[in-house]
Amino acid sequence: MTDAAVVTKVDSRGTACPGPITDLAMAYRRSKVGDTIEIWATDPGFKPDVQAWAAKTGNPIISLEEGPEKITAVIRVVRR
Amino acid sequence: MSRILILGGGSAGTILANQLGGRRDSVTLLTASMEHLFQPALLYIALTGANANVVRDERRLVLRSVKLVQERVTKVDLNQKLVEGSSGERYTYDRLVLATGVRTDPEQIPGLPAVYREFGNYHSGIALAQRLWSALRNFDGGTIALGQSTPICVCPPSPVEGILLLDRLLRRRGLRHRTRLVLFTPYPRAYPAQGINSVIEPLLKERGIEVMTFFDLDRIDTETKVIHSIEGDEITYDLPIIIPPFFGPDINFEPSEVADPSGFLLTDRETLRVKGFDSVYAIGDASSLPTSKAGVGAHLEAKVVARALRGDRAIFNGRTNCPMDLGDGRGTFVIGSYRTPVVPYRPSRLNLLMKHAMARMYWASLRGTLEPIFDLYFWLTTPERLSRRRVSKGA
Repeated sequence: MTDAAVVTKVDSRGTACPGPITDLAMAYRRSKVGDTIEIWATDPGFKPDVQAWAAKTGNPIISLEEGPEKITAVIRVVRR
Repeated sequence: MSRILILGGGSAGTILANQLGGRRDSVTLLTASMEHLFQPALLYIALTGANANVVRDERRLVLRSVKLVQERVTKVDLNQKLVEGSSGERYTYDRLVLATGVRTDPEQIPGLPAVYREFGNYHSGIALAQRLWSALRNFDGGTIALGQSTPICVCPPSPVEGILLLDRLLRRRGLRHRTRLVLFTPYPRAYPAQGINSVIEPLLKERGIEVMTFFDLDRIDTETKVIHSIEGDEITYDLPIIIPPFFGPDINFEPSEVADPSGFLLTDRETLRVKGFDSVYAIGDASSLPTSKAGVGAHLEAKVVARALRGDRAIFNGRTNCPMDLGDGRGTFVIGSYRTPVVPYRPSRLNLLMKHAMARMYWASLRGTLEPIFDLYFWLTTPERLSRRRVSKGA
């Protein structure tokens, strides 16, 4: 029997140093293949960071939206 | 009279106890050890062979009006307002402050305990720092790989400081030309906050230090001497310097939901109250606050909670002020807040002098006697002020 896939929501809004990429990396460490990570951030630098992270790790970004109050990235974990 | 119980005799707990001591409230500080270590000194013990006196007796650091008890806390029941220690003693409180710091757990990374037995590290006490210095003294060239086990790192500048001090050491010993220095990091860049990374990255490049980004440590094979990442990358090493994985305190909390999956206490980022409990606060490394785990944060958070416990309105703004030794006689600071991202801060000799001066002032700063100086410094260097100055100079 395998564990059910989970959706992890991470609120990284207003994160100061070292920044929201820390929260994403930590959520990735705890994840398993099939999981989804949804992360909220306000740091404008998060958008290019999450894109670079997805390209490097090979985990696709399902959606990346920049709203007036937050950036929301949804990532599917397909490899690790 | 209100009974205030503080758990943890590190920087945060000691500063808070001294700020509250002598007032009408009863203040009790529980500490697992009476040996108070100045943790930033481990960097210099491990990478320069420094032999400074870096431990003091907690009894000499805390005001007499504070009741200081040596006790290892095993259980905290927030619903019952009850704390239990390994001695079997029970403590009750009206208001509680958790300043219990972090613990390291090398067992979480396959191969890491064996690495520490042979090479030590510079984040886990004096003995392991001295072991690393000893390994470096015997090093005769090859690859040194330095990086963190997980994205959570106590003292975030310490990986960069470590690799820059190594570079200096190896140049002085005439070994740099036959040593490959690799800094690996789970982040997209050498330093996660872009503001200060723009200062750091050119220095690393200039000194021939390789940076492997998005390298999330998975395991270390000590037979083949290879470090593997979750992302599938590898580094073959001759000498590994690995920053340990950090976790929240090894305490049984009731309810357990007050801690995140790594054991850090879920804490309101401004009031510093533990979520769901108005009379409980978390300060220093034990909290899940979205800011650096560093001594300056512990200091500023202790001041905020001291004001809150006196009945004043107090808000923590996420201020960081981490000094960084750049290994070339200069230093910089990592300065930011919740509202203002980390600003690029020009390296200078004065900054390094200030880092060393702050280290010398550490013991006095615990007593609170230097607060006017710190208050002035923090006011002059608010990230907002530095940002405005940078914009007005057209930087």
